[in-house]
Amino acid sequence: MTCADRLTTQAYFDGEVDAVAAAGIERHVAQCADCRALLQDLAQTHAAIRSMARQGAPPALRARILRSLDEAAAAETSRSSPLPWRTRPFWMGAFGGAAGAAMAATLAWYTLSPAIGNPLLDDLMTAHVRSLMPSHLIDVASTDQHTVKPWFAGHADVSPVVVDFATQGYPLVGGRADYFAHQRSAVVVYQHGPHVINVFSWAGNRRQVPADTTRNGYRMMFWQVGDLDYCAVSDTGWDELRGLVRLLQRSSALDNRG
Amino acid sequence: MDDKRGRFEAQVLPHLDAACRFARWLSHSSADADDVVQEAILRAFRSFDSLRGSDAKSWLLTIVRNCQATAHRRQQRRAWVPLPEEHDAEDGHAMIASTPDPETASIGAEQEGTLTRLMAALPEDHREVLVLREIEDMDYRQIANITNVPIGTVMSRLARARAGLKSQWLKDVEGELRDVR
Repeated sequence: MTCADRLTTQAYFDGEVDAVAAAGIERHVAQCADCRALLQDLAQTHAAIRSMARQGAPPALRARILRSLDEAAAAETSRSSPLPWRTRPFWMGAFGGAAGAAMAATLAWYTLSPAIGNPLLDDLMTAHVRSLMPSHLIDVASTDQHTVKPWFAGHADVSPVVVDFATQGYPLVGGRADYFAHQRSAVVVYQHGPHVINVFSWAGNRRQVPADTTRNGYRMMFWQVGDLDYCAVSDTGWDELRGLVRLLQRSSALDNRG
Repeated sequence: MDDKRGRFEAQVLPHLDAACRFARWLSHSSADADDVVQEAILRAFRSFDSLRGSDAKSWLLTIVRNCQATAHRRQQRRAWVPLPEEHDAEDGHAMIASTPDPETASIGAEQEGTLTRLMAALPEDHREVLVLREIEDMDYRQIANITNVPIGTVMSRLARARAGLKSQWLKDVEGELRDVR
């Protein structure tokens, strides 16, 4: 025999009733063995389903989707929004057609180029995505900084700071050599929760490193230590990324003193 | 100019994981599901201006469901292949074999496989409400909006999905016990 109030009891379990109704249902459940058993079943089912692994979007799919979004966004802009200087007749009047257009183009180049025209950012993003492909993430798998650091000596042109920050929530996973910025750069791989953080390092040209930016959903944070340029790339949040960058900067400072 | 893209990334893309999970539970294969999600994201981007209010997750899942229905009509394949996570190998997270978190540790891999199979065997309209409620934490009203049925229907489907899952589970476990004897 089943109780006619089962749906109400289920709604109570799902948190869909207000406090007054809840009190009434609790009184009912106290007397109804059927609903007591139901509540127990609901809790068991809920626990079992919740304990299943929660798959998210695989990185390869995420990258594919972001690429197609880029294309869709580009298509929309070229179709709908007029070029910036067309909306400003003032500029046209002030500088005349050709001069104004040239100026706007130059201006656009300078303001947009750090964000969209910088090949370094593309290289880093591509390297990060590639690293998430099968067996590309690490060349030397070790949580021991004393294994990873010497490995770089034979495989990369630079020797970055390598420290395991497992106790701070950023366990060291390994290292990898990647070719970009025209050199064999060193990549130190950390994990933070479910996220992979790639810390790229290469011999900089002593110019300023790019500003922190988001590229296709991946956050990039840049800094310099001596003549080494660093960039941390991940899909984790800014705060989490900054946490690791601070730890690395502090370790570099200690290294230099020691 | 890039403003729409930026707002979309901030408001909608945080729900990409949920969209993938939902699509996989609805789809016949994970490759199909991936295509559905990509199509849904693009459709969502094009109609982003129509998103009113803040419930981007419901909105996106509704689009995923519509795309899935379109794709399903297109191919009309019946057999449901239980998700052979072919992307796991490509997944950086999976490659670093991390210690299971306490929640995952409570259910064995074998039981998880059984549960996945049983959920996959539920009728589609039962499965989707169950997934939206138990995995995506949607409330009755959100589920009603996404699946386009009245709340009362959501409640009865949910009850039948849960009861069906439980009785199949018991049957399965009893079957195993019989096998052992």
